[in-house]
Amino acid sequence: MSTNLKVTLSVLGAALAVLLLIVAVDLTEPKPPAGAAEVVREDSHRLSTAADGKVTVVEFLDFECEACGAAYPGVEKLRAEYGDRITYVVRYFPIASHPNAYNSAHAAEAAARQGKFEQMYVKLFDNQAAWGHTEESRAPVFEGYAAELGLDMAKFKVDVASAEVAERVRSDAADGAALGVQGTPTFFVNGERFTDAPTYEALKAAVDKGLGE
Amino acid sequence: MRPVLSDRLIGWILTVGGLIGALAAFVLTVEKIALLKDPSYTPSCSINPILSCGSVMTTAQAEVFGFPNPLIGVAAFPVVAATGVAVLAGARLPRWWWLSLQAGALFGVVFVHWLFVQSLYRIGALCPYCMVVWVVMILIFSYLTLHNAERGHLPAPRRLTGLLLAVHSTVPLVWLLILISLIGVQFRDYWSTLI
Repeated sequence: MSTNLKVTLSVLGAALAVLLLIVAVDLTEPKPPAGAAEVVREDSHRLSTAADGKVTVVEFLDFECEACGAAYPGVEKLRAEYGDRITYVVRYFPIASHPNAYNSAHAAEAAARQGKFEQMYVKLFDNQAAWGHTEESRAPVFEGYAAELGLDMAKFKVDVASAEVAERVRSDAADGAALGVQGTPTFFVNGERFTDAPTYEALKAAVDKGLGE
Repeated sequence: MRPVLSDRLIGWILTVGGLIGALAAFVLTVEKIALLKDPSYTPSCSINPILSCGSVMTTAQAEVFGFPNPLIGVAAFPVVAATGVAVLAGARLPRWWWLSLQAGALFGVVFVHWLFVQSLYRIGALCPYCMVVWVVMILIFSYLTLHNAERGHLPAPRRLTGLLLAVHSTVPLVWLLILISLIGVQFRDYWSTLI
């Protein structure tokens, strides 16, 4: 065997060994025990709360994600129709490749600290096309929304930049990642991952089933 | 002394590499035309969210010079293949021919790495036919450069050339392994869902 062939095969063999090792480590890595990550936590933002607690819909979302923006009208229709008959929970899952994913989540969380989470959520999605998908920070735009919502701007500015707000967003995303969320929007209905396309009709069917209608 | 890279070897690499590259570039051009005729057309190589020509072909990077990139390949790869065939037929090509080919290959290899970076870190999708071109381009560039250094068409330090020539096929192999690792890391989350 020529030196060239020997060396080439050795390199190839080493690369395959590394690949196998990575796959093996990935397969044997203990999966987080059930219960460690929760679909809904005490501090999760609820847009509505059902007294009977029969149906809980959880959406992991990124305010800059187009698919979330596409699902949004259907979600709003569903919320308008069912109101307090369902619990609707929104959790942060910023996608790092969206330049303003974190900025927008921080703005929503800062608004939440003044009891205006839902209003900011609506503003961000209603205006997604206006601020989304640009490289520069849209934090000034979000400040504008906060002002329009009548928030205490001094508090908002401190909160948006605070470590607690950043940590609160990260903890939602960490729960999502541990639950196997990989993209947005990802829905859970009564703790079960919702795998169909999140159209109004499909979500409605799942909710109706949960309500026993 | 017999050269390490024989005329036969370099001839075959240029012929086969040139033909595969030309074919991939041709398919990409045809798909591009189909996409222009019907914007809702799904190219044959759009397999899943990561492996997707459609999302790559419609970007600005797909026509950097104002026309679709694969047109360059359709024009240039046949020259590589023809050179290979000429070498296999026993032709002795002048130094300026080899240096021109080297310049073309250098442009090609730099260009595919720019596309690699764009594809991985800007567009976030891989196009299978484009990847065929990347591989072929790296093979052609590696062997052409080693050949030109060995035959003295290119000035190069003897020691280094000798070292690399002794293990010539590891040059493109290590190169490709690095690119594969970068792809593996970038799309880690996606691959892990396949296991």
